Amino acid sequence: MSIVVKGVSKRFNDFPALENVSLAVETGSLTALLGPSGSGKSTLLRVIAGLEQPDEGEVVIFGDDATGVAPQKRGVGFVFQHYAAFKHMTVFDNIAFGLTIRKRPKDEIKNRVSELLELVQLKPFAQRYPAQLSGGQRQRMALARALAVEPRVLLLDEPFGALDARVRSELREWLRRLHEEVHVTTVFVTHDQEEAMQVADRIAVMNKGVIEQVGGPRDLYENPESEFVMSFIGPVNRVGDTWVRPHDLELLSYPSDGADEAMIERIVHLGFEVRIELTRADGEKMWAQVTRDRCEELELEENQIVYLRPQHERVFSETFEPLTQ
Amino acid sequence: MIGPLAVVFYRTFENGFDAAWAALSSPDTIHAFKLTLIITAIAVPANTVFGIACGLAIVRRKFRGKGIVNAFVDLPLALSPVVVGLSLYLLYGRDGWFGAWLSDHGIQVLFALPSMVIATIFVSLPFVAREVIPTLREIGDEQEQAARTLGASSWQTFRRITLPAIRWAVIYGVILTTARCLGEFGAVAVVSGHIQGETETATLRVEERYQSLDLAGAYAISIVLAVLAVLVLVAMTVIRPKEEAV
Repeated sequence: MSIVVKGVSKRFNDFPALENVSLAVETGSLTALLGPSGSGKSTLLRVIAGLEQPDEGEVVIFGDDATGVAPQKRGVGFVFQHYAAFKHMTVFDNIAFGLTIRKRPKDEIKNRVSELLELVQLKPFAQRYPAQLSGGQRQRMALARALAVEPRVLLLDEPFGALDARVRSELREWLRRLHEEVHVTTVFVTHDQEEAMQVADRIAVMNKGVIEQVGGPRDLYENPESEFVMSFIGPVNRVGDTWVRPHDLELLSYPSDGADEAMIERIVHLGFEVRIELTRADGEKMWAQVTRDRCEELELEENQIVYLRPQHERVFSETFEPLTQ
Repeated sequence: MIGPLAVVFYRTFENGFDAAWAALSSPDTIHAFKLTLIITAIAVPANTVFGIACGLAIVRRKFRGKGIVNAFVDLPLALSPVVVGLSLYLLYGRDGWFGAWLSDHGIQVLFALPSMVIATIFVSLPFVAREVIPTLREIGDEQEQAARTLGASSWQTFRRITLPAIRWAVIYGVILTTARCLGEFGAVAVVSGHIQGETETATLRVEERYQSLDLAGAYAISIVLAVLAVLVLVAMTVIRPKEEAV
């Protein structure tokens, strides 16, 4: 295990940011800390980096107790949401910073930095200042800067949060490929479940300062252990105490056992996917996700009566207050 | 602004260049300028270090009584320099708190360089801190945190990240401090004792020449002070455009 967090708690004034959190991160893995804002995911990452001190608990990095150790001695690379670029330095000097601090020979610095410039595709921008780069380029520079000192673990705090949608999805792909090349143990924070599922091989879902569940993307989607995980990872319909995914809601044009009558309110065509917004006979609103072909086959129209047969319904013993989003 | 300055210029050279030159080249005047420069040369670095340290403490640290420290930085702006001088007089005078102890140990503070330096430092205290504080707030501490995670110690972080980021604010503050030190009159007037050729600064010398009805002399020294002030202003305008470019 690269990183082991044991029973960490952290309060900010009266707000409990983390409550008795434990997590183990496997060497070489790419782990996402996923949760809504205020769930404690960034605080946990900062505790691992040493930028925050936990009130209780310990952090172990590669077997060494790092709890009281200053951030500069932990061997972690940290990438901030807003890049934290050194504005008065060129891209080259930004990336070289950690090596310059360590007083490495000039030639070595030059070679290592040009290697990294190549890796993050910023070679032509070496002599520019951060202000002359786009957001995506700045974040790639920040990543190269963190990688320059060959950290034992790489921590990224909402690394793509400040970027527009297109650049964000490009960088996700790129981070995934980079991880396959560099293979440094990586933990990144995100509030975007799609991002977590696309990039990470393990996801820790956090809510209100607690880790709800840890698992692979598919595992979490298919076997959520709590209502929170079910509703945060992927879309859901809630019917009384039962939960069902929109694509698990089968639409029938004829009455059937266990199928509820519902009226189609609206049909939203999203290309391959079609969303059917429905109101059940008892007034409950929900939506179903069908393919375009299925929609045409059933000849669905607005104001039409259909019959809903839920597959894979789930009931959770512990209830929680649903997210207001 | 320009009107009175022009009159001062006119009056200086009214009786010819020689009178003005004679006043400027007198040993007491030269000594007065030297003294002003010495005081400035001590007070400006002291206040630069203090201002940066104070700004860092107020913006980056959490401690009890921070509000009081923050308010205290502004005190010299609110307080009349004469009051500052008087309180130094009360502290270091023969009957003052430290006065007796200091004179027993043969240290002359009042009517000597130390008290004049202290008075000048006090009145020019806020300028660097007031320039640095908003800039520190604006840049935030993420760059500093990034430097820490990359292996930089506190000093390396300050030297390589914080200081370059606030450099224009510091330079601007230093220029304002310098201007204030060169022109200081009230506080220094109280504590100096006006000893010609010993504790008389340039501004005090202007007053002394004026009282002695040597108007040409008073004007000539004023001119030099005015030119210094203009140089300071020029330095400021030269720096400003660069600041915007970064």
